[in-house]
Amino acid sequence: MILTDYRGANLFDELVDSTGKIRPYYRNVADKLSGLGNEELSQKLRSLELLFLKQGITFTVYGDDKGTERVFPFDPFPRVIPAAEWEQIEAGLVQRITALNLFLYDVYHEQRIIKDGIIPPEVVFGASHYRPEFVGVSVPKDAYIHVCGTDLIRDQDGRYLVLEDNGRCPSGVSYVLENRAAMKRVFPQLFSASGVRPVDTYPADLLATLRHVAPRENPNPNVVLLTPGVHNSAYFEHSFLARQMSIEIVEGRDLIALDGFVYMRTTRGLRQVDVIYRRIDDDFLDPQVFRKDSCLGVPGLVDAVRRGNVALANAIGTGVADDKVTYAFVPDMIRYYLCQEPILDQVPTYLAWRDSDKKYILENLPKLVVKAANESGGYGMLIGPAATAAQIEEFRQKVTAHPRNYIAQPVVNFSQHPTLVDGGLEGRHVDLRPFVLWGDSIKVLPGGLTRVALKRGSLVVNSSQGGGSKDTWVLAA
Amino acid sequence: MMLSRVADHQYWMARQMERAENLARLVRVSEEMLLDDETLGRGTAQEYWTPVLGATAMEAPFRTLYPEPKCGDAARFLTLDLRNPDSILACIRQARENARSVRDKISDEMWAEINALNMFVTSAEGLELLERFPQAYYEKIISSSMLFDGITDATLTRDEGWNFLQLGRLLERADMTSRFLDIRSQTQPIAGESALESLQWGAVLRACSAHAGYRRVHGGEISVEGVVDLLLFSNEFPRSVRHCIRRADEVLHDISGTPTGRYSNTCEKITGALLAKLSFAGPPEVMARGLHAYIDELQLQLNSAGQAVFESYVLLPGEIDRHFPRGTRPDSLSDWHREQQQQQQQ
Repeated sequence: MILTDYRGANLFDELVDSTGKIRPYYRNVADKLSGLGNEELSQKLRSLELLFLKQGITFTVYGDDKGTERVFPFDPFPRVIPAAEWEQIEAGLVQRITALNLFLYDVYHEQRIIKDGIIPPEVVFGASHYRPEFVGVSVPKDAYIHVCGTDLIRDQDGRYLVLEDNGRCPSGVSYVLENRAAMKRVFPQLFSASGVRPVDTYPADLLATLRHVAPRENPNPNVVLLTPGVHNSAYFEHSFLARQMSIEIVEGRDLIALDGFVYMRTTRGLRQVDVIYRRIDDDFLDPQVFRKDSCLGVPGLVDAVRRGNVALANAIGTGVADDKVTYAFVPDMIRYYLCQEPILDQVPTYLAWRDSDKKYILENLPKLVVKAANESGGYGMLIGPAATAAQIEEFRQKVTAHPRNYIAQPVVNFSQHPTLVDGGLEGRHVDLRPFVLWGDSIKVLPGGLTRVALKRGSLVVNSSQGGGSKDTWVLAA
Repeated sequence: MMLSRVADHQYWMARQMERAENLARLVRVSEEMLLDDETLGRGTAQEYWTPVLGATAMEAPFRTLYPEPKCGDAARFLTLDLRNPDSILACIRQARENARSVRDKISDEMWAEINALNMFVTSAEGLELLERFPQAYYEKIISSSMLFDGITDATLTRDEGWNFLQLGRLLERADMTSRFLDIRSQTQPIAGESALESLQWGAVLRACSAHAGYRRVHGGEISVEGVVDLLLFSNEFPRSVRHCIRRADEVLHDISGTPTGRYSNTCEKITGALLAKLSFAGPPEVMARGLHAYIDELQLQLNSAGQAVFESYVLLPGEIDRHFPRGTRPDSLSDWHREQQQQQQQ
């Protein structure tokens, strides 16, 4: 692989500094990669893609009648994060999930943060994922977000910024593990003497996190993973995690709620379930409480949760914390609950719900990124500088009609990373999604999922929108 | 103990795979025989396929989809036509879908094989093979299914899931073997054409990989009685109906823990009775009754065995009011259900 032609751009480059010199912590991997011939490299990549396809490490593309499955494109140039930098990120993530869980406990109990005037009531009560039904309901160990996937980007100065918190059903962790396994298989020589921190304890840590909230005093609680089913784009991940943790993967139709307890239907009759790692949205959990038309849920499940006979991870109602309007208040939450300054910065955010901000947004649409407050997967979003006049007009109307539903942020020209494109290296924008587990202790998976926007100049990294991923190396020292 | 749905998926994964394999065997041999027929100067393509479609209960849907069948339509209908829920492709797709649902319960190698077969059948490489060397295409499907069986044998823990998987494979194999026998009984006997007749029985034996097994027991002369004896009543030949039912009966008793010779549920009762029937009868009884009538009755019993498995282990007692005939699997989700499954993940 030829590294000599690679140049950084007018933004932060992960590999080279502003003078074009390779950053010291990348030297080891860069040396080894440049020793590989281009031909050998592309051959290895092709065999890797075939391997992914054969193993069914794929995601489903929606809106395609054939239910096409695609391989999540994989880039072989790993992202490297030095130990000291990671320490900062880790501390920032621990601080953030702590504040978010305190916030969730608070809004579903005393609501002090509202009474004390830190967060306006309409922010909380206007969030579409706020669940008033759960006010006053206690959850085991006061844990709301057990698994959090926080998206980070780096600005022009290399500063890590939180882009959003995913505190409902974050996905992508299986790719972290599979990407690492693939790298070891195809490029074992890259790992020697590189001091990369392993990631493979994640399934065991996740299982411990889930067992931690088991309601019964049972040394061997029955933990299951609830999936929407094989047609879900993340089904591979659900199946992967269930297998790694040796727990059952269940669909709604496998469960039955009777007299406030939840059971799974087996060939030997019913067996009680203690903890459900659910990968379906609140809306679909229980047709008796939420969406009546849900075919995925379990009638009576919410009642069992209320009675404390079964635990859900993540808990119901966490969406109020990862709402994009609430996001603007997370630094205030950290100060309020923890009396600390936020360790990780975040992107300045304008709330259309505030009249002054709305005015600014409407006047500056072509310069801003506008996001729907509750969407994910890169949907419901406007990137002003890249948008057509018609798209801008569409969002102008949307923002005017439903100001609570929209936020806007300046375009952050976030960092790029060398990526293999047509046999050569080109800079592509990357983000980072680390995974945080909130159990007996708080565990942060070293690294996380680095997503790459494979289209030149694109700032959208989602797999559904043409994104790929790469292995992420956190160095031990 | 396992999830009922998982047991169901394991059962159908194996069953659909076996069905795909047997259909491939059928089409391969039929195409071969078609060539013989043409050499002998009798029969049109269309005539020949009628008994094949009849024996697999696919004649009516074929007529609906192809009101004026042309040469090659029957093979297409049986092989790649997804409008036919029992085509080879449809079976492989369903087998793979079932495997995907139990991805965490089967070995990586099993999954890789079924996934590779699923990719192969519609790959450019596969379609080219089908075009130029159809025999090789069907052989690839047959050997992939047999490889899957071997991988399963060598890698899967012998637990309840294994038993359900065996059950699906054995019941389907028994069913398909009986259908192979029925093909010949659906053609009109033509006086004085015993050479042709033994040629066709030979093809049935080949379709069941039973040529060598036949010669060992009955020598070189191929007779109806000999073929019926081997494919229905042999205790040793692994594709015979009796052998499959005996194994299925053992597997069922292993699942429930009931001693053999007794029964604790309807499916054990059915397989037990069927096994007794096949153990204490032979070709004379079949010939007296008429081959087609005998096989018809056998297939009804095999169907009810499959239905009984579903009722005993998958449904809760209150749900046993649904009947799923061949080809209409309960896993066909409504579009609405599918749409809900496709909710966006963060």
